[in-house]
Amino acid sequence: MYLVANVNVEICASKSCKLCTQYCPEANTIQYSEEMGKEQGFKYGSAYIAVDRCKGCALCVWVCDSLAKNNAIKMTMIDQLPKAALTDNITYGDKSTTAVLASPMVG
Amino acid sequence: MSLDYVKFSNGFEKFMPKEYRDMVEHGPFGKKVTVSQMGSFKEALEEHPMCAGCAMTLFIRLAIIAFPNPEDTITVGTAGCGRLAISQAAIPFVYGNYGDQNGVASGLSRGLRLRFGDKPKDVVVMAGDGGTADIGFQQVLHSWFRKERFTTIMLDNEVYGNTGGQESGMTNRGAVLKMAPLGKKFEKMDMLQMAKVAGCAYVATVVPNNPRRVESVIKKAVLIAREVGSTYIQAYTSCNIEYAIPTDKVMEDAKTVENDRYQFTEYVSEEAKQYLAERYGYKEFLPKPAAAIPNKA
Ligand SMILES: Cc1ncc(C[n+]2csc(CCOP(=O)(O)OP(=O)(O)O)c2C)c(N)n1
Ligand code: SF4
Ligand code: SF4
Ligand code: SF4
Repeated sequence: MYLVANVNVEICASKSCKLCTQYCPEANTIQYSEEMGKEQGFKYGSAYIAVDRCKGCALCVWVCDSLAKNNAIKMTMIDQLPKAALTDNITYGDKSTTAVLASPMVG
Repeated sequence: MSLDYVKFSNGFEKFMPKEYRDMVEHGPFGKKVTVSQMGSFKEALEEHPMCAGCAMTLFIRLAIIAFPNPEDTITVGTAGCGRLAISQAAIPFVYGNYGDQNGVASGLSRGLRLRFGDKPKDVVVMAGDGGTADIGFQQVLHSWFRKERFTTIMLDNEVYGNTGGQESGMTNRGAVLKMAPLGKKFEKMDMLQMAKVAGCAYVATVVPNNPRRVESVIKKAVLIAREVGSTYIQAYTSCNIEYAIPTDKVMEDAKTVENDRYQFTEYVSEEAKQYLAERYGYKEFLPKPAAAIPNKA
């Protein structure tokens, strides 16, 4: 098993600064969704990770902790994530993306 | 090289992989995308084998987003780590022998001008410090002295990363590397000064811990190279493998190095300032209004 980044939507949506995606070395990996968190009543959307592209460097954890000062990202063993975003389940819109979450192990 | 090359051929759309369809429909082509929109559009860069947490990878990612016209851009690279990612973008990539990138780019940019006239086609070289300051040094300098109109970007990780840690001309004096166990005996080369002496119209240093600044310098360098002359960007893009930087500390290292030897500097020739102001509306380069004469009465 290996570690991937995992964004806590409740914590991220309070700030939603989009800094982490500007620092992730991998393209198309930290995505942003205006919808995510809205159904739970949050004002802003959230960042989320396309875990099939994440290389587990934890650079985004440093960005969220030290630059955004929001501590919304934790490294998590991929088999401990009940649901996550995968490239195949991400849809691009005009200004945002949406993701149907699925088990990263089963797909 | 136009928007046509990122369209589907008739009848093929349904056979294309999702990533390709996303790129055609929601990629950066034909519209302006910015660093602040990252995470909301499909990037032209795809998966590649560069190491986890590599700052060079981040820089390349940002640079590709910053290209003013990605559909009219060709990248040129050479041996070294960067080409592993640059070649995996939906932007034509030319790969020559180690060190000949600026010679290849000179011919390419001249050929494109013959073929397409005034229609801008941007050529951007991205190569390592070894490729730029050691092996390709002669061709780099000559392309600058000849005022070849394309952008040269040095991905300076201060080591030969791809081949396991030999010192380069850009390694710091005293640095001990796996294949330089006694420590480097000479100073880091001053390629910035050489670029100025050779007549580059734009010379900048940048570190990827400031993504918007990376965006801004790449845009200026590519635009100036369209008409004014050679442009040079020197980017600190650490190698976390050869310098043993933990990946979650890569940005802390970037900040330390920025403060130590990689402060942001930008030289813009007078001709380039005028060009950016008049052609592309860069307000910061508009001539300053003459200071009002103080009224002594
Ligand atoms: C003519 C030639 N000599 C040697 C090599 C082997 N080689 C491949 S990459 C490389 C070093 C690259 O270092 P640098 O340009 O600094 O880029 P980095 O990998 O650090 O990004 C060398 C020596 C080669 N490919 N071709
Ligand atoms: S840096 Fe943190 S708060 Fe900002 S978007 Fe990313 S996860 Fe959310
Ligand atoms: S761990 Fe690294 S690769 Fe994964 S999302 Fe964070 S910054 Fe990107
Ligand atoms: S060897 Fe160094 S420069 Fe090359 S990809 Fe790995 S971390 Fe980056």
